[in-house]
Amino acid sequence: MCMIEIQNLSKIYKTKKGEVNGVDNVSLSIEKGEIYGIVGYSGAGKSSLLRCINLLERPTSGHLTVDGVDLTVLRGEPLRLARLKIGMIFQHFYLISQKTVYENIAFALKAAKVPAKERIDRVEKLLEMVGLSDKRDVYPSQLSGGQKQRVAIARALANNPKVLLCDEATSALDPTTTKSILNLLKKINQELKITIVLITHEMNVVKEICNRMAIMQEGRVVEEGAVYNIFASPKTELAKEFIASVVSYDIPETIANSCEGPLVKVTFRGKVAGEGVISDTLQQYQVKGNFLHGSIEYIQDLPLGIFVMELKGAKEEIKQALKYIEERDAQVEVLRDGV
Amino acid sequence: MGFDFGHFVELLPDINTAFLQTIYMISISLAVAVIVGLPIGILLYITDKGLFWENQAVQSMLGFIVNLVRSIPFIILLVALIPLTKAIVGTQIGPAAASVSLSVAAIPFFARIVETALREIDKGVIEAAIAAGATPWMIIKDVLLLEAKSGIISGITLTLISLIGFSAMAGTVGGGGIGDLAIRFGYYRYDNTIMIATVLILVILVQVIQILGDFIAKVVDKR
Repeated sequence: MCMIEIQNLSKIYKTKKGEVNGVDNVSLSIEKGEIYGIVGYSGAGKSSLLRCINLLERPTSGHLTVDGVDLTVLRGEPLRLARLKIGMIFQHFYLISQKTVYENIAFALKAAKVPAKERIDRVEKLLEMVGLSDKRDVYPSQLSGGQKQRVAIARALANNPKVLLCDEATSALDPTTTKSILNLLKKINQELKITIVLITHEMNVVKEICNRMAIMQEGRVVEEGAVYNIFASPKTELAKEFIASVVSYDIPETIANSCEGPLVKVTFRGKVAGEGVISDTLQQYQVKGNFLHGSIEYIQDLPLGIFVMELKGAKEEIKQALKYIEERDAQVEVLRDGV
Repeated sequence: MGFDFGHFVELLPDINTAFLQTIYMISISLAVAVIVGLPIGILLYITDKGLFWENQAVQSMLGFIVNLVRSIPFIILLVALIPLTKAIVGTQIGPAAASVSLSVAAIPFFARIVETALREIDKGVIEAAIAAGATPWMIIKDVLLLEAKSGIISGITLTLISLIGFSAMAGTVGGGGIGDLAIRFGYYRYDNTIMIATVLILVILVQVIQILGDFIAKVVDKR
């Protein structure tokens, strides 16, 4: 079932230099319970798109429904109430510096008119979930970046939202802290069944926790689909660029030039035992394989094996061998024909 | 002619009265400035572009009035407000009368200080509160006033010290207080003892207020 439905959404900014299309006619469906990643370089419009989802930015045109409610027609009090069900966290946390951890989280509960007595229990539970029970009465200035983000997450989840929006939530954190925050988001997604939409420029984040993703450029979605599929067979140059930032299969020029046979990239998806297929191939055909690159990435616990090798042998044999590999459900891409 | 201690002791009751009058004037006008100026300062801020009560008309109107009052020299304001003072207090002399002009001058001064203090707040914090579903009142009370608390306290200190300066000026038109004493005795009668004593009192008063204000602003800040 669909949790967030975005239809032909556009956001035009009026600047002194004229109109700028922040978001340009974007349509996306984000399913209930999934973690959806939106990737793009800065200025690609991903942040504007995310901020349109809770109407921090009012879309210029198009429609947007969250859990079946069209938010674009709401204003004032109804919009405020709708926002209680959409949590949001930010790159720079944005906690109230003059309030303790407890008060920061209770602030969100106050917005939902939760009685003071119930707030105490609820905050305790939230702090327990994000692992900060001992920091209850501390001010944000005494917390590390990761801890601040945990408080922000607790605040965002205070009113049992259906959706959690993450605006570059890990971009200001070091790799270890990023990992722990991502694990927390994953746990929240699984245990509380909250739909998470995150934007990031780090492909690693998407690879780590997202089910599906969209890649944005100049306000438009240029590629969209399951993270695994995009990693296995990216269609656009931009997608390839982003994937190369996490897993690179570049072969140094000098090495590639010294190869005599064709260079092929073989991609094994899912449970296919990659190495087995290759060794079978090399046994059955008069072909020698020379591995230049290879790795197995795990995306959503599914293995994705990618190998780059040089094949040596008679042309006809190589052709047969490649055909055999394809028959065994692998994807073959000839990077460069032999000399 | 230097400082005559005997003369000083002799005039101590007068100095005491004048000191209390000064305290009385600046207390009333500070209270009025905070009560009226704070909401105006908040309004100036939240009606600005990109904020949650964006309203160009209210913003420009309010801004214009604030600038207008601030551009009038205090001494002229003092005279111009005589009819208003008479209507409110019943008389145009004495500390209570001077408080009216002092309040009118302090309101826009403090309002601008509040506005400036609010501008220091990271807009992201306000946005996060909006995203959390906070009501406008919650944002004003729990975000704006709280985050700008330290800046507003520094602003109160600043206003208070300006008021001491203005109150001395009010003395020239018979407003009472330390300034009045300094002018009547120290200036018109060439009484150096009074002159030195009153200046000294003002110096000490300003120093104490500044140190106290800085201390409070620092203590309440949790950053």
